[in-house]
Amino acid sequence: MNKFWTWVFLAAAGALVLLFFSNDFGLIDIQKTAIVAAIGIDASAEAEGEWSVTAQIAVPDANAEKASNVSIPSAKTVGAGIAEVNRKTGWYPTLVHCRLILLGDEAAEKDVFEALGYFLRSEFVEDSCLIAVCDGRAQDLLGASSPVGELTATAIAKVLSSEAQKTGLVCVTNLRDFAKGYYSRAQSGYLPYLSRLPEAEGSGGQGGQSGQSAEQGAKGGGAGGSADVFDASRTMLFYKGVRAAVLEPAETLAYNLAETSTDFAFGEVRAEEDGEEATFGLKMKITKKARALTLEGGVPVCSFRIRANAQIADASAAATLGEVARKAIVPEKVLRAAEEEFKARLASVLQKCAESGCDLFGLKQALARAYPKEYPAYEATLLADTRAAYDIRFSTLH
Amino acid sequence: MDKLKLRQVCFLFAAVLPLTKLFIYPSTLAYYAKNDLLLSCALNYLLEGAVVALVLWLASRTRCTLFELFKNTFGRTAAKVLYLLLAAFLLFSALLPMLEQKNFVMQVLYENVPSLLSFAPFFAVSCFACTKGLKTLGRIADAALPVFAAAFPALILLALPHADFATLAPAGAAGAKGIFTGSLFGLPWFCECLYPLLLLGHFEYEKGGVWKGTLAFAAGAGAVLLLLAVFYGIFEELAVLTQYPLAHIAKYTTVFTTLGRADFLFLFAMALLYIFALCVPLQLSVHCVRQAFPRLLPVIPAAAESLALLVLAIVLNYSFNAVQTFAMRYTPPLIVAFCYLLPLAALFLRRTPKEPAAKKQPPEERRARRKAPRPAHARRARKSRRAKREGT
Repeated sequence: MNKFWTWVFLAAAGALVLLFFSNDFGLIDIQKTAIVAAIGIDASAEAEGEWSVTAQIAVPDANAEKASNVSIPSAKTVGAGIAEVNRKTGWYPTLVHCRLILLGDEAAEKDVFEALGYFLRSEFVEDSCLIAVCDGRAQDLLGASSPVGELTATAIAKVLSSEAQKTGLVCVTNLRDFAKGYYSRAQSGYLPYLSRLPEAEGSGGQGGQSGQSAEQGAKGGGAGGSADVFDASRTMLFYKGVRAAVLEPAETLAYNLAETSTDFAFGEVRAEEDGEEATFGLKMKITKKARALTLEGGVPVCSFRIRANAQIADASAAATLGEVARKAIVPEKVLRAAEEEFKARLASVLQKCAESGCDLFGLKQALARAYPKEYPAYEATLLADTRAAYDIRFSTLH
Repeated sequence: MDKLKLRQVCFLFAAVLPLTKLFIYPSTLAYYAKNDLLLSCALNYLLEGAVVALVLWLASRTRCTLFELFKNTFGRTAAKVLYLLLAAFLLFSALLPMLEQKNFVMQVLYENVPSLLSFAPFFAVSCFACTKGLKTLGRIADAALPVFAAAFPALILLALPHADFATLAPAGAAGAKGIFTGSLFGLPWFCECLYPLLLLGHFEYEKGGVWKGTLAFAAGAGAVLLLLAVFYGIFEELAVLTQYPLAHIAKYTTVFTTLGRADFLFLFAMALLYIFALCVPLQLSVHCVRQAFPRLLPVIPAAAESLALLVLAIVLNYSFNAVQTFAMRYTPPLIVAFCYLLPLAALFLRRTPKEPAAKKQPPEERRARRKAPRPAHARRARKSRRAKREGT
């Protein structure tokens, strides 16, 4: 009996402890709470130096999850804008579930951390939430209709998922990584540059649901059966929190292949086939990537060492049956063309970095770690003075 | 008897005492020592480890408790006064970790800010633990080790892929000032070297105890240093903003994307252990009071201390930063005196009673003498006296 009561006591204590540590059993009154799924931040059109804040609020419904956008046209700070959401709607906005922060491109014309500081200070916003900048106003983009019948924020988050990063087509980042870059020696960072492509005409998304706003409302497109698709293949570079340059899709891919966690990618290469120029679609698997910064004779040298396996996924020219069957074997000239293409794109990225001051590859940090004594002498002109050395090898099955 | 096993003391060093350094301490240290936080922490650990090793060596030389050492050297009254001072210090040293735990529970484990009542059960737990004497410390240590050994590595493993250890380079970038400031201001989290001194005579010393205890302490130190490295590797310059690293380091893993924050399972386990770690100074404080006043029921000091902490938790509910700043700036001399100089001084305390045993025997010896068999002539004389009494 004693044992029985011991176990009963232990079970009761365990249950109490679970209640003690977690409020997951507590009911949240969703009638009073606005679950913010995304926040859009724009430069205010009404008052210079102020912010326009748009909160996309998830509205649970019996049939499907819908969204309602609430916009505050002008607020001195982002925090004030979010508080204004509460005052106007009577809902208490909870940011615990906010998974996306979207900046309008006008907002990126000044130090974006004037706006993002709020999220770094708040212990309720996860620093793992995605962050992106968009072509036009964030308010409009959040008002776009989703082609996948969900919240616009969710559709955008899919475009910016870690799976998208693995393909190399998108440079995904989150609040923590972007802030780390800003507060590091480099004072640099990047954000995926989203744009809306009204292409999925008649695809039957739940257009309009997320476009309808509770207050001022977003002027979202997407009514009447059309839906928008989102493209994030461009990347905006930042220096000291201000927009510095934009990487085009090919440059974004090259940067991803050289630097980020992208291991598999698809790219196009032009090469001559039977005297005519043909385009080959290559599937690439990066097997090794390394970057090092050294001082050689007083000149900073950034060495890229990349190894990749490739196979042909597609070609613009018609191929014989044997060539199609041998898709795993890539002709030597195509491999060399791929290497040259990769080098050219990477050089273009470095050129943009040098011109804009954005230390995308963290060269300053690398120099300060490896050569702390020499660092002060090179700090000011490091990006312009750095010489790139490429050791890129694409190989195929033999 | 309040006797612990050496094994339990080792487990205490390895799995319970490191916990107090896993919450606010890392971000505080990152603020002062920046990427040299490992050096700063290692310096503190070296000092603390040396004190622990010396106390364990002392344990190998004497079976006396600290109270007996004090009594032998300064007399009973002085020993009581010293023990009361120690009790007050231990209670004070529990304040900052208790507020850390309170803020952790209320900020990390709840979506919205709950009332202080949510944390109130802790004071009942601490009161109960304090009434049970030192023996429970051993049980806590026995239970803590497997939980710590499962939860801590799990959190670290989830976090490791996101850590860039190159951020810790170059060593010494913060300069000597940064490193030593970090060590000095980190002292409020390094009070544990006092605990083995108070456990002196309360655990069964075994052969090789010095090495075993020191290695266990080093294992705990290694765990803290590993967490600091992973923490800074993940957050770099943002480390100063990131309080409660345990709650954040593992959340970036994509393994549990569909499951949500599965790392919270391990976090709950660590938070549970932290409650027991918080009880340790309180239990030792109550132990000190009971040594000073042996006839006092344990529930009285236990309730008084828990109540005092509850009142402080209410009064200082919104003043954590002030308490932390006060502890870091003004208490290091006190901590050095109680936690570092006192154990060193204990090496020179008298291990045998001052007065000769013939003049005044201690009660234990008197009792032993009474129980010892009487000599034969005394037995015969007693027997004849009894027979004479019965005859009259």
